[in-house]
Order: sequence, then structure tokens, then C-alpha cells
Amino acid sequence: MSAGSLGLRAPLLQIEGLSVRYGGITALRELSFTVGQGELVALLGANGAGKTTTLRAISRLVDAAAGRILWQGAELARLSTERTVRLGIGHCPEGRRVLARQSVATNLELGAWLRRDRSVIATDLERCYQLFPRLAERRQQLAGSLSGGEQQMLAIARALMGRPTLLLLDEPSLGLAPRLVAELMDTLAGLHREGLAMLLVEQNAAAALAIADRAVVLESGNLRLQGPAAELRHDPELQALYLGGAS
Amino acid sequence: MDTLLQILINGISTGAVYGLFALGYTLVFSVLGVINFAHGAVFTLGAYLTYLLVGGAVGSNGLLAGLQLPFALPFWAALPVAGLLTALVSLLVEATAFRPLRRHGAEPLLYLITSLGAGVILVNLLQILLGAEGYAMPTTALGSLPITLSLAGAQLRTVQLVLLVVAAVVLAVLSLWLEGSRGGKALQAVSEDATTARLLGIDSDAMIRLGFAVSGFLAGIAGGLVGLSLSITGPYFGISYGLKALGVLVLGGLGSVPGAVLAGLIVGGAEALVPGEWSGYKDAIAYAFLFAVLLLRPQGLLGRPQISKV
Ligand SMILES: Nc1ncnc2c1ncn2[C@@H]1O[C@H](COP(=O)(O)OP(=O)(O)OP(=O)(O)O)[C@@H](O)[C@H]1O
Ligand SMILES: [Mg+2]
Repeated sequence: MSAGSLGLRAPLLQIEGLSVRYGGITALRELSFTVGQGELVALLGANGAGKTTTLRAISRLVDAAAGRILWQGAELARLSTERTVRLGIGHCPEGRRVLARQSVATNLELGAWLRRDRSVIATDLERCYQLFPRLAERRQQLAGSLSGGEQQMLAIARALMGRPTLLLLDEPSLGLAPRLVAELMDTLAGLHREGLAMLLVEQNAAAALAIADRAVVLESGNLRLQGPAAELRHDPELQALYLGGAS
Repeated sequence: MDTLLQILINGISTGAVYGLFALGYTLVFSVLGVINFAHGAVFTLGAYLTYLLVGGAVGSNGLLAGLQLPFALPFWAALPVAGLLTALVSLLVEATAFRPLRRHGAEPLLYLITSLGAGVILVNLLQILLGAEGYAMPTTALGSLPITLSLAGAQLRTVQLVLLVVAAVVLAVLSLWLEGSRGGKALQAVSEDATTARLLGIDSDAMIRLGFAVSGFLAGIAGGLVGLSLSITGPYFGISYGLKALGVLVLGGLGSVPGAVLAGLIVGGAEALVPGEWSGYKDAIAYAFLFAVLLLRPQGLLGRPQISKV
């Protein structure tokens, strides 16, 4: 009993002293933070701060030069990317990356590639179409012919089709009109209320902080600050850096 | 004197087999972004295996001189068995000539050398084991089918019709599988964007192996069919055929499945139209044709203007 409840209280994802290098360039230096069960953590920082690199390291697309990434207490270091997906880590990558030559429906179907629960997949598919009605109208259309915003929705819906426990989102609002950003943030907040944990990378810090529980701020590969989103929303330092201050 | 119908059937059947063979290149190219130069050798192996399985005997030159299998399969059974065996060999080629390089993120040019090496080793093995002489499929291979059939007043070689039917069935099944099945869609996902496919949980290594297996199967089938219609002229006979199929592949547009089939039909048709007294120049005419088309359309008939691989 106590072990079980302990397990529940352990963080879902724990990053300890993570460093990543690309050849001679150090992209991340001794980064540590956690994402708890059902928690929405915003990962903020300027261009080149190392946000995408952090997500790529979690999904095992790049190797860590040092440090550990623990998923529910177990090391991810030696696993393949496919294994991390199987464990429940969904990743909606930077730049949408929809399969342009496949239909909307096939993109979503491939999002559920690892699942065998056919009837639940069908229910989830209908749910995705409810969440993003534009996709429903275009289910037979090739994904490459969608508008940028529609592709972004498809990329998110596709990641949801994998039923992740933790969803990594890399700048989902990029290129969306302000009204669509607001809609998207509402959708993400709704998923969060249903218990989905998220690590949300955003340039739009204000929008992310409005729905996040906590935030982690990177600067040139180093942890700059972290804390509850409610506090950071009013943090003068962050205000100056990302919330309408000089860049 | 050949009738138009005969020329047409010859062209389509030859072309359909080119298409089958070129598709094997396409499958590997689309998942890996490199050409498998051992493909022609696998084709040769398919021809020899079909020959042995239909009850053909080894000549007197190789290490296996005089060997003959204790059974003789009909052609329609021997062909898929040969295809399955060449699929296995193709997996072996992947494991030895491709996978180690992939692990180290090697330059695409290096795959050319290792796959060519694997092909040369395979061809030499065939020569050592079976000798350098040519073989013709036993006339009993097609069972009780007559040598020629008459259709609409024309005399047609039965072999050409067999080629046509087998190639059409295999192509139809393959495109249904690629477009309609889970595995086919996953293979296409890997070919479009391997990293994204992995983020969806698709095991791209497994899909690459699947691509090689299907590609080897197609090469083996094409080898058996060409061996049946033209005889096996020696262990190197796959090389020239492989080069021409590479031309067909480029003509269709690298990585395009319908393009490979269409280009196969065009080249086969063009060859069939070459009059008998010029038949010695068949290859030259086919290549001149390829050359001319590519000058006008460098991306191939159905190719996308640019293919970028990471
Ligand atoms: N494949 C790579 N090879 C070499 N350097 C890289 C590579 N990918 C990223 N970098 C470098 O690592 C650093 C961090 O990059 P990263 O993509 O993680 O930044 P980011 O915070 O996601 O930026 P952005 O907001 O622009 O997406 C940058 O300096 C970048 O130039
Ligand atoms: Mg980024």
C-alpha cells in the first residue's frame, strides 16, 4: 500500500544533471528538473536555449553526454525512441512534421501504431475529430495540403492518438493566428484537467504560463530559473526577458 | 513476322518484369535513401534457384557439378520458393553491408561500395558453385502448357503471357499492401520521415528489414521470370539487367512506385518495337531513349523534383 502510494508521488519524469553536446557545441549543461504526474510544465527560453534538445534527449533522439533521465524512477538512457513511446512518452515535434503524402486519417491511425485496442482507438479518433473539427472535415485530404495551423492541430491530435502519459510539445503555437493560439491553449488546458501531464515548449511565454502549473526557464543551455507558473507570471526578471520586454 | 499484338504483349511483359525489379530498388531507396547495388546479384540468384527448383541440373564446371535436386517443382511453385529464399539472402545483405554502416552514420557513398562488394561476392559464389556456363529452364517447367498460344489470330509465346500474368499479380498485391495495410503505411511513413516515424513508435530498423525482404523477393521473382523467358547466360547476367533496371528506376523517378512500373512498361515497349534485324542494338536504343527523356525531365517521369533525406 505504502509502496504504491509512494510510487504515485514519485515524479513521472526526473532529469538530473543532463548535459548534451553536438560535436564541440554544448547545447545543455547540467540541467535538472522534474515533471510530476498530471503536471503541466512550461519549458521557456530564447532561440537556441536548448528547449528542443531537452525534448530530443527525453525521446532518445540524442544521447546525453552526462546525467540521467528517469521515467517513473527507471533510467531511459539505453532505450530506443520507439521504447520511450511505448512507455507513454508522446512527442509532438518542432515544425509539425506531419506525413505530407498520407491522408489526415492515416496520420492519426499511425499515431496509434503501438496500440492494439481497436475499439478504443476508434473512440479516440472520434474524440480527436471533436477536439479539432477542421480535421474531421478533411480526413481524406493529404496532410501536405493542410494549412500550417491545420497541420499543427494534426500533429497534436496524432500525438494524442498514442494515449501518452506525458506529452512533449515543441512550440505548438508557432505560426498560429492569435485567436487559434487561444483556442489551442484552451484545448491543452482541457487535456491537462483530464490528467494528461505535459512538458510544453513555447516562445509565447505568456500563453504558456497562463495554463502551466510550473515553468522552467533555460538560457544558453543552462537552467536560469524555475518555479510555480503563478509566481513567474509576475517575475520582473522573466517579464524583462520574455514577456514583452526587450529581447 | 511479328504482329502488332505480339509486339505489344512482348513489350508489356518485358516491361512489367523491369518494373518488378526496379521496384525492389525503389523500396530500399525509399526507406534508406541509398541504392542497393547487390540487387542485380540477388536477381541472378533468383534465376539459378528457380532453375534448380524446377529440376534443372548443374553442369560440369562448378563445385556442385552434376547436382540435381531429388524433386522437381512446377514453375508456379518454384518461383515463390525462390523468391522467399532470395528475400532471406537480401536480409543477409542488409545485415552485413548496410546495418553496420547505418550504426555509424556512414556517408551514402560507402553503401555503394559495400553493397557492390556483397553483390560481387554473391556472383562469385554462384560461379564457384555452379560454374560459368549458361542454363536454360527445362522445357517441362511450365508443365502441359503449349509453347505458343494463339490469341486473336496471333501466335504468342506462352512464356510472355506467364511473365505478364505473374508480374501483374505481384504488382497488384504489392500496391494493395503498400497503400492499404498497416505495415505498408508504416513503411511509407519511414520512407517519408524516419525520425517522425520513430516518434510514433514505428521501429524503423524493422521497417528497413521489411523493405529489404520484399525487395529481395521481387528480385528473385524477376530473376526466375527472366531466366524462363531468355535463359540464364551465366553468373553475370544480372549485372547488365540490373544496370538497365537502374535506368528504368531513374526514368520513373527515384522512390516513386507507380513511376517504376510506368518506366518499365515504356522501356519494355520501346525494346519490343526495335525491328528484328537491329536486335543487336536493343540496349543502345533503350539507353539512348533513357538519356533523351532524362535530359528533358531530370527528376524522372513521376519523381518529385527533389528528395531530401536526413
Ligand atoms: N543537430 C545539431 N547540430 C549541431 N548543433 C545543434 C544541433 N541541434 C541544435 N544545435 C545547437 O544546440 C543549441 C540548442 O538548440 P535547440 O534546438 O535545442 O534550441 P531551442 O531552444 O529549441 O531553440 P528554438 O527556440 O530556436 O527552437 C543551439 O545553439 C543549436 O545551434
Ligand atoms: Mg526548438
